[in-house]
Amino acid sequence: MKVSLFATCLTNAFYPEVDLTMAKILKHLGHTVDVPEGQVCCGQIAFNSGYVDDAREVARTLINSFERSEVVVGPSGSCIAMIHHYYPTLFENEPVYLKKAEDLIHKSYEFTQFVVDVLKKPDLGAHYKAKATYHPSCHATRLLGIGEAPLKLLQHVNGLELLPLPEAQLCCGFGGTFSVKMPKISEAMVAEKAEHVLASGADILLGLDMGCLMNISGYLEKINKPVKTMHIIQLLGEGMKS
Amino acid sequence: MTNTNEFINHLASKLGRPTPTETPPPVEISVPQYRLSNTEERASIFLQNWQALGGKGAIVKSENDMLQCLKEWFGDLPITWFKDNPQALIAWDMLPSIAESAFSTLNWPLTRYTQSSLDPRDRYSIAAHAELGITGSDLGIALSGTIVMNSDPLRGRVVSLLPPRHLAFIETTKIRNNLFEVLEEISALGTPPAAIEMISGPSRTSDIEMDLSIGVHGPIEVYVVVIDN
Amino acid sequence: MTMFNLTTDQRVDKALANNFLRQATRRATDRLRNNKYKASDELGNWEEWRNAGETIRKHVIANLDFYLHQLIEQMEQRGVHVHLAKTPADAVGIVRNIVREHDAKNVLKSKSMISEEIHLNHALEEDGAAVVETDLGEYIIQIAGEPPSHIIVPAMHKTRQQVADLFEPIAGHALSSDTPTLTRFARIQMREQFLRGDIGITGCNFAVANTGSIVMVTNEGNGRMVSTLPRVQITLMGMERIVPSFRELDIMLNLLARSATGQRLSSYTTILTPPKKSADSDGPEEYHLVILDHNRSEILGDKLFRTALNCIRCGACFNVCPVYRQLGGHAYGSVYSGPIGSVITPLLEKDWKKWGHLPYFSSLCGACTEGCPVRIPLHDLLVKLRMRKTQSGHTPQVEQQIFKAYRYLFTREKTLRRALRLGAHLQRPFVRNHRITGGPPPLSNWTKSRTLPMVAPKPFMQIWADLNNKR
Repeated sequence: MKVSLFATCLTNAFYPEVDLTMAKILKHLGHTVDVPEGQVCCGQIAFNSGYVDDAREVARTLINSFERSEVVVGPSGSCIAMIHHYYPTLFENEPVYLKKAEDLIHKSYEFTQFVVDVLKKPDLGAHYKAKATYHPSCHATRLLGIGEAPLKLLQHVNGLELLPLPEAQLCCGFGGTFSVKMPKISEAMVAEKAEHVLASGADILLGLDMGCLMNISGYLEKINKPVKTMHIIQLLGEGMKS
Repeated sequence: MTNTNEFINHLASKLGRPTPTETPPPVEISVPQYRLSNTEERASIFLQNWQALGGKGAIVKSENDMLQCLKEWFGDLPITWFKDNPQALIAWDMLPSIAESAFSTLNWPLTRYTQSSLDPRDRYSIAAHAELGITGSDLGIALSGTIVMNSDPLRGRVVSLLPPRHLAFIETTKIRNNLFEVLEEISALGTPPAAIEMISGPSRTSDIEMDLSIGVHGPIEVYVVVIDN
Repeated sequence: MTMFNLTTDQRVDKALANNFLRQATRRATDRLRNNKYKASDELGNWEEWRNAGETIRKHVIANLDFYLHQLIEQMEQRGVHVHLAKTPADAVGIVRNIVREHDAKNVLKSKSMISEEIHLNHALEEDGAAVVETDLGEYIIQIAGEPPSHIIVPAMHKTRQQVADLFEPIAGHALSSDTPTLTRFARIQMREQFLRGDIGITGCNFAVANTGSIVMVTNEGNGRMVSTLPRVQITLMGMERIVPSFRELDIMLNLLARSATGQRLSSYTTILTPPKKSADSDGPEEYHLVILDHNRSEILGDKLFRTALNCIRCGACFNVCPVYRQLGGHAYGSVYSGPIGSVITPLLEKDWKKWGHLPYFSSLCGACTEGCPVRIPLHDLLVKLRMRKTQSGHTPQVEQQIFKAYRYLFTREKTLRRALRLGAHLQRPFVRNHRITGGPPPLSNWTKSRTLPMVAPKPFMQIWADLNNKR
């Protein structure tokens, strides 16, 4: 299969290794990988802040860049959820782009969803000895309905002990611009999330959205708690090296 | 004050069409409803649920059972109550016959609420000072442990409300599986009575620190005798 | 009310500094949420019940004019006085007139969010009537002079000691602060009031259109008291609170009780079809129904927000909301708090200056939408409100500029690469141990409580291009 990567704006700028590792894993699974030019961002930051017109142009850019792709895979439940959940509303008055948006919806997947549900490869033969816990990001879980896929991948990682995260369903307080627009509320939320992460007894916090992980790790770092945070892709990538 | 037509027309304009002249076709509802297989099972589940809510209850098959049950619950209390208050037991005009004869046998005289005074304020006060309110029930709901009472000139709405204790009688055949069946049966009667009271257990509140507290305004103790004959 | 005089920021600070409030809110919402899960799971097919609830609510709202008309006709035929209020002021005026006409001195109230919405008590008290809130939680906050902090548990923010302190001056002696004592005090205190009440004012959980019935649920029994003992009764209802018939009522009562408190049915579910029959021994002789619009008709006409009218006021969204969990209700500043409050307050009150902060009291995590028994897409509605606010020019200039810049850069990948390279340079003064620890606003809002990873020396798009020997 020819897989086009959607390098989200956040991983592109801050965590390029996540995108790179995603490419490596997909190649390892025998697929051709490309990264269509011109792609930047799903537009969620603006959309969720109420700047729909600005969001629409950013979304249009993304749609254009994937127009010729067969399958699009991204390392973020939130960005894929933006496409699936909101693009139809965004382009409701533009039949041409509505059609294009629907095409993109039908061919785009979050990484774990793609590997487990589409490729049916829950076992990537990874080894990683650690105690970890998993934060189910809100948009992946509630908007995309991703439940088991990431857990299946993790259950197949040799040596990985997966510990339950108390109150896992609680949002970490990131919420995109929410974290800077309502910083105090956001801080209270991430403080509680950190409390549960620490209570889990895990050494590593895993997730499938770098936004949430950036928020939680940023807080843990500030309060000097040595819990490492990793995208599932990073853990799999490390685990597949051995 | 706004005129009805003006008010309704304003809504129609907001909905972008004239007000329908016929009742809109009802929506389809398909929820699998809770059902039990027979009267006996309904009675026993009803009782279980009533007790889980903090109510006392028993199934009686004979007058003897009934006497035993009332004695066990109230002992000689009613006799003591009478000494201070001859209207301590306040009841509907008519109770199931097995209950009426049990009270005669026990020699616990009942004050009939509707006849207790001509003035409603006095009646309320009598009920408020009574120790035990005694009623029948029109229907029951097994799933939620609920008794259902329709208002009626021979009854009093406050009998099940103002006294600190409420004793209700219900025949097993009146217990339905779920709320749906109860509402269906009541609607079949035409215009509903002025008040339908559905009671599930004692009065309760969790308003202070989420701490469950029984008996804030309504009865503190609730009893139900399920009559199986 | 003091809460209403503070700025949003001050209210948030106040809430976050109140440890009891935050612990109590956590504990209460956890409990209510878990109860709800039990009660919804035992049905085995909750999603079907939700579907039914959503279908019924949508149908009612789409035919609101018809059903409201039917309700009014049914009521008037039987001699109920129906009053239609366009505005809160109209509603207050109507109730005031009834109270004056009867020269009522003692007004009893059972829980009504509409009365909070129209700020009724104050007006009646000005006229010299004694107004008693009879729901225990409402009674507590009435004495404290505060708005409700939760739609189902209005005094959730009060400790039992605070409640004891509020009750003591009324009792005239010391009260121990255990709940049974406090509850008993309220029972005894209220008993006398109930028997003295001239007019009873209740809320309305549902109104049944084809029978002209009012449905009220309470757990304490105060609703029954208020709707039985006084000679005159007034019911306040929001105009959307309708079900077509008893058939739909079954679904809605199940959804309400299970979602609100995790009960199969509330302790007391009362269906009133007023007024009383002439031979009935009990019940009010005179019955008034006040139906309030207060911009609900505007919401009805606004396709983007119409689903907000589907709400059945169960509070389930409060109990799953991670923002409400941290703050409790008062930080919102509005009568209706929690996710649904953030949605309806700006729509009802139409004042961005005062209520413009509410749509942002959400991380858009979607827990509210998932928890809503009638499937209102609450977090989507919050986004749409932000859109409305933005489009009407009520957002800050700086914010508008930032998103203009965002749009420019994020539609030009190559330009963004250069900008990121610049960012990688500019971040240097703020970097400690490979993390960004400070910066200009709005970045500083982040770095006050968190660090940020460094902008990568090369963005992924550049790395990939280099790997593939592209420009």
